[in-house]
Amino acid sequence: MHRSTERRSAPRRVLRLAAIFSFLAGGSALADGVVGEHVNDLQAHLDEYTTEVNWLIEQVDGIVDAYEAGGLSAARPEAVNDHWEAVDFHSAIETNYVPLYAGIWQGLYGVRQAIEKEQPVDAVRAEQVKLEQTLWQALGAVKVAAQFQQRGLVPAVAHTEAATPMETIDIIKRELERVVAKYAEQLPDEANTIVQETYLNRFEGIEGMLIEQDADLVVDLELDFNVTLPKSMQDGASVDEVSGVVEAMHVKLDRARGLLEEAEANRADVF
Amino acid sequence: MRRRHFIGALATAGAAGALGGIPGWPVHASETGGAAKATLADAPSVESLPSLEGKLTLYLGTGEGGLYENVLKAIEKRNPGLELGIRRGPTAALANAIVAEGQAGVRRADVFWAVDSGAIGLVNEAGLAQPLPGDLTGLLDPVFRYERWAPITGRVRSVPFHTGRFSAKDVPTDIMALPESGLRLGWAPAYAAFQSFVTAMRLLEGEERTAAWLQAMARNARGYAGELGVVMGVERGEVDAGLANHYYTLRLKAGKPDAAVDMAFTRGDAGCLVNASGVLAVNEGELAVNFIRYLLTREVQSYLAREAAEIPLVHGVAPPDGLPPLSSLSPPELDLTRLADLRPTLDLMRDAGVL
Repeated sequence: MHRSTERRSAPRRVLRLAAIFSFLAGGSALADGVVGEHVNDLQAHLDEYTTEVNWLIEQVDGIVDAYEAGGLSAARPEAVNDHWEAVDFHSAIETNYVPLYAGIWQGLYGVRQAIEKEQPVDAVRAEQVKLEQTLWQALGAVKVAAQFQQRGLVPAVAHTEAATPMETIDIIKRELERVVAKYAEQLPDEANTIVQETYLNRFEGIEGMLIEQDADLVVDLELDFNVTLPKSMQDGASVDEVSGVVEAMHVKLDRARGLLEEAEANRADVF
Repeated sequence: MRRRHFIGALATAGAAGALGGIPGWPVHASETGGAAKATLADAPSVESLPSLEGKLTLYLGTGEGGLYENVLKAIEKRNPGLELGIRRGPTAALANAIVAEGQAGVRRADVFWAVDSGAIGLVNEAGLAQPLPGDLTGLLDPVFRYERWAPITGRVRSVPFHTGRFSAKDVPTDIMALPESGLRLGWAPAYAAFQSFVTAMRLLEGEERTAAWLQAMARNARGYAGELGVVMGVERGEVDAGLANHYYTLRLKAGKPDAAVDMAFTRGDAGCLVNASGVLAVNEGELAVNFIRYLLTREVQSYLAREAAEIPLVHGVAPPDGLPPLSSLSPPELDLTRLADLRPTLDLMRDAGVL
């Protein structure tokens, strides 16, 4: 989610030269400047996302073509990351469906690493096909999310501070999804930092209340935050495995949310 | 007088402290200008307070799990003429924002309520806190009276121990002796409350002794990410004892009454430091001060004691269930705002290899 201006600047120039994405330059941003406001109005940007997905596929195809024609030195496979960083579709899928977002990163690295390892062109093309399929699935997911958004079924994407323990749980779940995203981006240190900060700044604030409701659940989540999840990343687990740990944590966090909601409902008034 | 005991404190504040809260600890005379001699009054009821009317911007340092929000909602409900704007965020970040705004000549916040007195100290040291009236600070037990901020509720450092194998008498009463006590210990060095405790030790014992203590602990202690984890580790028998704020033990026992853990307290040193959440007025005006009065009512203090297991700091409000008799505690005398001086502590901890 935290793409820096610096990381985006070079590919943006490429896009401007291509005169395809001139609309990107004028996009407004949220207060922290990391995700464009477009993610809160997906419907209005679906055509742009579709154009971006087509453009991405063309760029990757060009890289593979170059590899086929001239080998590794001609391909510049690392550019797949720059192209992906350059498009707004990146944050559209990242903020709506992390499993596919992670899948795109896996696909990008699949193509890149196949070229860097100088594998046969057929093997590279196979990775390219997987990436393209994931990109189209992701575009479909964003279209569905746009419909939900229009019906008011999803909250606006923004960095807010929680006003209730239940909102804190929601933020924790979102942060854990970012962990998977960063891990998929092959940024394990950043992913681990998010785990630690989420534990200390978020979970610590509610676990005192939660332990009054279900001490065993707190023990479980303590282990997940401090052992299971960090260790899975440290041990080099696959993205799917890390995603599985996070999904299991989501289930526990949903249970925690329910318990905290019940406790809040039963709490005596202040005055 | 750095080390002292409750009996001595009674002589300062009179026997009135026996009614509740933390009774009779000595006053910071330099802050109060003699307020210690004032008679302690019971905390007022919300019924006696004026209505709050007008716009008020509160910077709320979060981290207590949402209970402060319930207090704010109750105040808003009771005062329909109050337009309360709340900016929420991590306490340290908000303190830095207030200081930065102050340096830019802007004061967006009217009131700052923080879970941590160190953050209050940062704003206070920047000269951005307004003086509070004596009749307001006079509601607090004398040791918690400050000219420009008001502690709201307290938390005491404790040594949770495994009750299946030990009793309180097995725990040293001197925090400096803990690393060599032979107990298997648990701690959470990354945890903010622990770092405040080390800051207190540094201020009370000096850097050299604190560094030696940290190194000795590092050889013997098992690390946990947070202090609830420490208490749970003690309860599971992974370690014999640990270091944690008092409320984790109380809350664990609330959820698991047969938990094999209880608390011991050191005497007259950083090991039984009482730290506090606090509030200050950034802008002048009656509304900000009257808002703070609501936080010191017996209703709000009782609520936070009951629901958050925090220690009420006004007179006439009972402490949370399960906290040992307060008369047995002897916390060190320390201006809590000095705990804002965290950088030397972090340097010391890094040098000792515990961070």
